[in-house]
Amino acid sequence: MLPGYKGVCIAALCAIAAGMAFAQAKAPRGNWTPPKTAWGDPDLQGVWTSDDSFGVPYERPRRYGNRTLLTDEEYAERAKENELLASSIQAGVTPKAGYWLQHEGVDYQPYNSNWSEFARQTSRQTSLIVDPEDGHFPPLTQQAMMQRAAAIYASRLRLRPESWEDLSIYARCITRGVLGSMLPVMYGNGTDILQSPGLVVIRYEMIHETRIVPIDPPNNPHPHLPASLRTYMGDPRGHWEGNTLVVETTNFIGGRAGIGPNGDGVKYSEDMRLVERFTRTSDRSIQYEVTVFDPKTFTASWAVVFPITEEPGYQIFEYACHEGNYAMSNILSGARAEEAQEKAQPAVK
Amino acid sequence: MQIRPIAFKIGAVLLACMPSSLRGQAYHAPRAAGGHADLSGIWEALNTANWDLEDHSAEAGPMWQTGAIGSEPAGQGVVEGGAIPYLPAALEVRKTNFANRRTNDPEAKCYMPGIPRANYMPYPFQIVQSPRGILFAYEYASANRLVNMGKPVEPVSDTWMGTNNGYWEGDTLVVDVTGFNGLAWFDRAGDFASDKLHVVERFTRTDRDHLQYEATIEDPSVFSRPWKISMPLYRRVEKNAQLLEFKCVEFAEELLYGQYKKK
Repeated sequence: MLPGYKGVCIAALCAIAAGMAFAQAKAPRGNWTPPKTAWGDPDLQGVWTSDDSFGVPYERPRRYGNRTLLTDEEYAERAKENELLASSIQAGVTPKAGYWLQHEGVDYQPYNSNWSEFARQTSRQTSLIVDPEDGHFPPLTQQAMMQRAAAIYASRLRLRPESWEDLSIYARCITRGVLGSMLPVMYGNGTDILQSPGLVVIRYEMIHETRIVPIDPPNNPHPHLPASLRTYMGDPRGHWEGNTLVVETTNFIGGRAGIGPNGDGVKYSEDMRLVERFTRTSDRSIQYEVTVFDPKTFTASWAVVFPITEEPGYQIFEYACHEGNYAMSNILSGARAEEAQEKAQPAVK
Repeated sequence: MQIRPIAFKIGAVLLACMPSSLRGQAYHAPRAAGGHADLSGIWEALNTANWDLEDHSAEAGPMWQTGAIGSEPAGQGVVEGGAIPYLPAALEVRKTNFANRRTNDPEAKCYMPGIPRANYMPYPFQIVQSPRGILFAYEYASANRLVNMGKPVEPVSDTWMGTNNGYWEGDTLVVDVTGFNGLAWFDRAGDFASDKLHVVERFTRTDRDHLQYEATIEDPSVFSRPWKISMPLYRRVEKNAQLLEFKCVEFAEELLYGQYKKK
């Protein structure tokens, strides 16, 4: 599956568009006890997906105010649309919903419905952001606002991408970052968790990322890498708080990847610190919470919550993104061909 | 009867006290959580197999601009019997690959390395033994593969890193790899295989800090018979050893797309 220039933007849009299917994990019932590994740690292992939050808006639509959950009426409406999407995708027909409704009549659609995921359980969440309580990003710092405005202005002036650097870090198949790898998008939302004594491994299908998290006693964490050593996926350190895996990640490369789905959106700084919490809430779900601390970019910390759930039969495949990135050559060579044509035949005014 | 267990214990203690060289193959690897030999840790090859699996003299590299940096060190081959048994037509392909290695080696393009190459690239990799399978995470290009230790599965699609089915033969981890896409090379010398490639790898821990690695390579459309490579892998013993990140796409974009950049 190739992330076409357009497709990447669309996948990200899709994830933040309102009016699609929503889902949320059910709280544990009765006397359910979380499973343990043979060596006594809480067991989070399995292949999980964020598909049940497919389409949940990242930021909360204003009409919901500070309300975190849908009313029964709103829920029924969302469940109906979700059902339409699920049944169409399963039947292999183009759903009259979500992305396809938005792009009706477009000549070249990069995706037919075969590629798309859908929710198994409709969510009641009104947004993925739960803190601050209005469900919106806190205001950007002045520095971040200036940088973002400058980047948007530059991209508007540019008629076509001049180089690969004008395309997103995901379109270039470099990475989607940590949060960008977890947030639900159109497809490829699989997260594979493996454990061994002293380690938790978190793998994402896209873009074949592996995070190896050493588990330390909470009072004796081993130090992070020095600040001079930075990576796209950061330097994770984990510990258990009861049944919750807490992962603190620092040492990010700043200014290149964004904090949104697929690593798009507002670019985070090298000072970002992520605190993620993974809590098994039932046989088929883990509640995932992440708090973003990035004082260079945001004027306050903020947090996202959504479940990752088990889907029977879901497998992690090899996502050879860069190896199959024909889109990049096509986009750039197409842009140069258009420029050559314009030069040969100047547009009539 | 107490005598036999005691005699056995004394024997075991004596054996454990002997240097492993006197015991031959008797090194008893510590156990992982599942009871099998513990192969976990960060490992790296320390040889020049990624330059050329066969014996090779020191030579200039493909880029004169980098001077002696990037030139090829001499190295002793890791192929049993010395030479890779190519079919005549395949040998011609290998020569063409070598001639075009600066632009065509998948490593230059930051493509996934495939198997067996991933194991002897000049980057560390980590083995994690989990109840869900044995993970090989490579620093180079964030490549990885999860070896299925359950009922063997058939490849569902062709891939760079293959479909990996593993099992234990005593303390040796055997990984049977098929389902390749035929695009990976074995080294910077242009050694290659097709999508018919079948690799059987064997990982045996020979002492605390070494794994013995062997791979039997079979591809009837490229080679006249199966052949074998073998080499030790070394543990990264630094106290603070951890897998870092080598996301190399950015380092290959000028090579791959430079011709399409706006002049």
